[in-house]
Amino acid sequence: MTRTTEEPLAPVVDHEQWVGLEELAKSPEFQDMLHREFPEDATAWNDPVSRRTFLTLAGASVALAGIGCSPRPASREKIFPYVRQPEQMTLGIPLFYATGFTQGGITIGLLAKSREGRPIKLEGNPSHPTSLGSIDAIAQASLLDMYDPDRSRRITKKGVDTGWDTAVLELRTALERLRTENPPRAIRILTDTVGSPALGSMIQDEFLKLYPSAKWVQYEPANRDNVREGAKLAYGEPVNTVYDFTKALRVLSLDADFLSNGPGAVRYTKDFNRLRNSHLKEGGKVPSAEEMNRLYVIESMLTSTGGVADHRLAVRSADVEAIARNIAKGVGAAVQEVAISEAAKNWIKELVNDLNAHKGKSIVIAGENQPPAVHALAHAMNGALGNIGTTVLNHAPIEIKPTTQAAEFKELVAEMSAGTVGALLIIGVNPVFTSPADVDFKKALERVSLTVHMGSHSDETAAECDWHINQTHFLETWGDGRAHDGTVTLCQPLIAPLFNGRSPLELLAYLVGDRTELNPREIVKGYWKKNWPASGSKVDFDAAWQHALQEGIIPNSASARVDKQPNAANIPAYTAPVAGLELTLRPDPAIHDGRYLNNGWLQELPKPITKLTWDNALIVSPKTAEKHGFKINIESTGGGEHGRSVADMAEITVGDKKLKAAVWIQPGHADDSITLHLGYGRQKGGKVAKGTGFNAYAVRTSGAAWNALGVKIAGTGETYLLASTQAHFRMEGRRPVRQGTLHEYEENLKENKRTHGKVALFAKVPPVASPEWRSIDENVPGSPNEWKGEKAKEHKHEHTKDDKKEEDHGHDDPRLIPLTMAPATNKEGHRWAMAIDLTACNGCSACVTACMAENNIPVVGKKEVTRGREMHWIRVDRYYEGKADDPDNLTTHFQPVPCQQCEKAPCEVVCPVAATVHSADGLNDMVYNRCVGTRYCSNNCPYKVRRFNFLTFADWKTDTYKLMRNPEVTVRERGVMEKCTYCVQRIRSAGIESERTGREIKDGEIVTACQQACPAGAIIFGDLNDAKAKVNTWKQQPTNYGLLAELNTMPRTSYLAAVRNPNPDMPKPKGA
Amino acid sequence: MAQIFHSSMNSVARISVFGLPLLFVGSILGGTIIYRSPYITGEREVIDQPVPFSHKHHVGELGIDCRYCHTSVETSAYAGIPPTKTCMNCHQQMWAGSDMLGPVRESYKQDKSIPWEGVHNLPNYVYFNHSIHLAKGVGCYSCHGEIDKMNLTFQDKSLLMEWCLKCHRNPGPNLRPKEEIFSMTWRRDKDHPNPKTGEAWTTDEIIDHNKLKIRDAIQITSCSTCHR
Repeated sequence: MTRTTEEPLAPVVDHEQWVGLEELAKSPEFQDMLHREFPEDATAWNDPVSRRTFLTLAGASVALAGIGCSPRPASREKIFPYVRQPEQMTLGIPLFYATGFTQGGITIGLLAKSREGRPIKLEGNPSHPTSLGSIDAIAQASLLDMYDPDRSRRITKKGVDTGWDTAVLELRTALERLRTENPPRAIRILTDTVGSPALGSMIQDEFLKLYPSAKWVQYEPANRDNVREGAKLAYGEPVNTVYDFTKALRVLSLDADFLSNGPGAVRYTKDFNRLRNSHLKEGGKVPSAEEMNRLYVIESMLTSTGGVADHRLAVRSADVEAIARNIAKGVGAAVQEVAISEAAKNWIKELVNDLNAHKGKSIVIAGENQPPAVHALAHAMNGALGNIGTTVLNHAPIEIKPTTQAAEFKELVAEMSAGTVGALLIIGVNPVFTSPADVDFKKALERVSLTVHMGSHSDETAAECDWHINQTHFLETWGDGRAHDGTVTLCQPLIAPLFNGRSPLELLAYLVGDRTELNPREIVKGYWKKNWPASGSKVDFDAAWQHALQEGIIPNSASARVDKQPNAANIPAYTAPVAGLELTLRPDPAIHDGRYLNNGWLQELPKPITKLTWDNALIVSPKTAEKHGFKINIESTGGGEHGRSVADMAEITVGDKKLKAAVWIQPGHADDSITLHLGYGRQKGGKVAKGTGFNAYAVRTSGAAWNALGVKIAGTGETYLLASTQAHFRMEGRRPVRQGTLHEYEENLKENKRTHGKVALFAKVPPVASPEWRSIDENVPGSPNEWKGEKAKEHKHEHTKDDKKEEDHGHDDPRLIPLTMAPATNKEGHRWAMAIDLTACNGCSACVTACMAENNIPVVGKKEVTRGREMHWIRVDRYYEGKADDPDNLTTHFQPVPCQQCEKAPCEVVCPVAATVHSADGLNDMVYNRCVGTRYCSNNCPYKVRRFNFLTFADWKTDTYKLMRNPEVTVRERGVMEKCTYCVQRIRSAGIESERTGREIKDGEIVTACQQACPAGAIIFGDLNDAKAKVNTWKQQPTNYGLLAELNTMPRTSYLAAVRNPNPDMPKPKGA
Repeated sequence: MAQIFHSSMNSVARISVFGLPLLFVGSILGGTIIYRSPYITGEREVIDQPVPFSHKHHVGELGIDCRYCHTSVETSAYAGIPPTKTCMNCHQQMWAGSDMLGPVRESYKQDKSIPWEGVHNLPNYVYFNHSIHLAKGVGCYSCHGEIDKMNLTFQDKSLLMEWCLKCHRNPGPNLRPKEEIFSMTWRRDKDHPNPKTGEAWTTDEIIDHNKLKIRDAIQITSCSTCHR
């Protein structure tokens, strides 16, 4: 089935871009799949009709018949006005409140958008140091958690409902009895990492004082013990290290995914890209290698950070330490060299030189899963490089009580097992699920006389405890927290608790009793009234408090700086890790440690690298897979499936623990290493969580929390269906990502200036710019392709009226005139456009969740994802370049693809009912009420960005979800096509606002949801008719290109080619 | 051989040849007529309300400004239905014991909304914005008709998309000077002249006077202007 128009038009170049091994192998199934708009299965109506479905359908038919009887276009609705309208609330106008999202003791500041009292969208707080206006995927999706219908709605004692008053009374009496017993019985509080000053004070200054036999234990599975221990080794105290990437020209990551995981990831991504975006210089000047930062990454699993690295060394996680020691030695830290592989030796030689040449302007950062020694080594390196105080800033710890959580937890379980614990209050954690496999928390729990669980869900731990108290979501209660640099963040509620939950502050306040302040607002305010950060002048607390609430932060509250130089003397002696297979555990990029497993947005979010949804897997390199005989097949059911990846199952043995899980083959992964993400395989996670993934805690032991050596793996002969979106919506190898090195960029640019004889190959950064309406490509007739050499001077094409002037067109300008008879475009009004910088994008997917929240995008479920029916309006394509079996030289690129809003949109001309048409300002409008679902438009879209509601994907039944939806966006029905609209609701509301007051829309006034979320600042949106608009300056860049512009679609969205800054002295890949 | 068709079939054939097309055209015509009829659009259909609120009394007779109750009409998409508190502002003093106002007092006492019946209902995929229409000089009267003469409120216009488009294609005739937006009696005629000319207002004069340009028809008839 060869259709000439679908053949790749771009010249075949030396290194191809591919998305997965099946594409690289050019399997017939994959080829066949490419030629389909949707997988065969997606368009079929062959869902088996069960009795239940039949009844649903029958019911629906009756209902539809009912609707048929009322031919009125709009149904009559009742109006329920307020009895007393709240102040400041105007129907139809959103209000924003500053609040914060806390994970692992770190709070990121947010602005929550409220419509008529319902939070409908979370955005970053520009005043907050961790956010600076951006947000990550998890924080964005936490909105859905609040509306989760599976949330616990009750307070129960042994499964029987009790009220709050009864619960508090009984618990107080019980605690009082334990306190007055002789000797007093032990009381324990178990929480996750607490960074909230108010909660910390409540526990330490009040609860523990009232109950002298009480102790407070913190434990979360993805803890930062190693970071703290490493800091202790280096400084003698657990300092909190904050990095300033805006000054770091050279960055070395030792297994640290600092751009997408860990505290400050959002801020670090922003800062990192300040020096990454330096190629966006005015006038298209090429920056020097000294103006752009360079990232070296040593890691086992390919991460977002590794994906954007200039140099990446794939080694076993356990081998990072040895390499780190040698680098440390090289940069002058007082450590001994150890034996490492020859390849690694060559690799680090130039790295060391580069770091040494950038003293005071570099950063070495170690990952949370690396042992304390590596963290101490990183500190020592930063010390030796003179980075401390410039790019690496140490602060006093931000946790209320920095402890070694794993040890504390083990101690707690020992006490519990010994039967000495009288009462255990578990607040907001789920240790029955998350405790290491060798620590039997569940059994130990049986020996505790009084067990209380407070949590948002009736989870695994709740089931084992006597008491369960439903906890509020952070958007339902008052609180506080600290940013990654310690800045105090105030968290306001947006809504009264939906299910009458209670906050931990409230519970403890009631248990302490004898307090004047019992409600969370009073508690938080009361705490800060006493502890307001001292400043020179006297402050009026009420005014300062109001101001802090508005800003979301308490000014000047960052934790104190610690000025100390690291000491390398305490780094423990090196013991070489045993060779062979290792298992590395990591928090999942979407569902973290399992707490967000019931969040559909995160479950369906394709993970940045693997593009897996709804599952985790044993991730191995292609070589390791081959060694053990694992493979992944695209299931062939006649047409080939998008993302139906049938993976082999394997059993992994770690010590005496075993786990069966699917195997995912990941190019770029280190050999002899397995990565498994935590959090899946929960028993009592909720409806969404049910039956997804494999429980990694089953093979996690307290001795080897992150890394286990001597692991065995063997195929079980079974297979498992994984839903990976990596093969969805492919563009047939038309070189969608253009990329090159800084050097190549410069070379090409120079040549281009001299003559238009030589045009860079597509593989490199094209020196040809395409100011948007001249979307160009060398494949279009009359193109620079024909101008090569001497022919260059002949001017082959006709001038149109618009292009007569030299300055308009420039005869030494190799750009093309688009093939169109229509006038270029309107110069009146607005012309909305977008540019996406591929240099900055690290695939974190915050844009995808932001889009889901803004545009009411439904979750379709695993089965539908395997049919290519996921509804995301923006997808982040991930491409590899290089050989699959050479992980060190594999480069990765990420490309967010929303609707390109073509000016000559192929979708528009084929719609028989004019349901997709152009607006005056150049948007490709989608009119749901006209759409009859022919899907012709989707069939004709070369970018494959249109999504069809094959089934009723939107949840029309669940009440809580109705509250969450954005009222400015239609909730789509079955049988309707949809796609990215450039957030037209935001454009129209800004338009109305400006028209009403008779002013112009300012540049930057309209931000799309994806742009707003993006921590990397990779997306820009604006008006092409505004010459000063930032989007125009981006589009003037020489690296600007239109995706598949050779099809003459004239896309309004354009891309800036990915520019990397590799070290020219580094060893070259074999055969290059 | 016997006749296959009886001679009466001639008439049937004649009727079919002319009648079937007529029936076809007729049913389409009939359908469009029915679709535009008040039976479907709900035009001028008086709806019972929990409280028989009379605009005629409050607006026409007492002369209360529209914005006293519909507070957000100039700033928001929604004009806003007044909270019970607004009713009680006056009715705590006036007609405080009236049976008709029973539901209002109950609502205020029990803190429960009065369940009004929506009169102007738009389909869910239409995003109408009051504020921009007012700002551009479209008066309440243009869409809501003579509210000041309605005892119980009814829908004065069809609210069909063609009705919206008629004005979006050519807004001129429905514009009025901004001072007259809330007036129920202003008409564009010689009785309500432009003080500068002494003649009836022209569209250009109104646009000049209101100091706000009207976007051209292509822009305001783009689908996403109202549908998104």
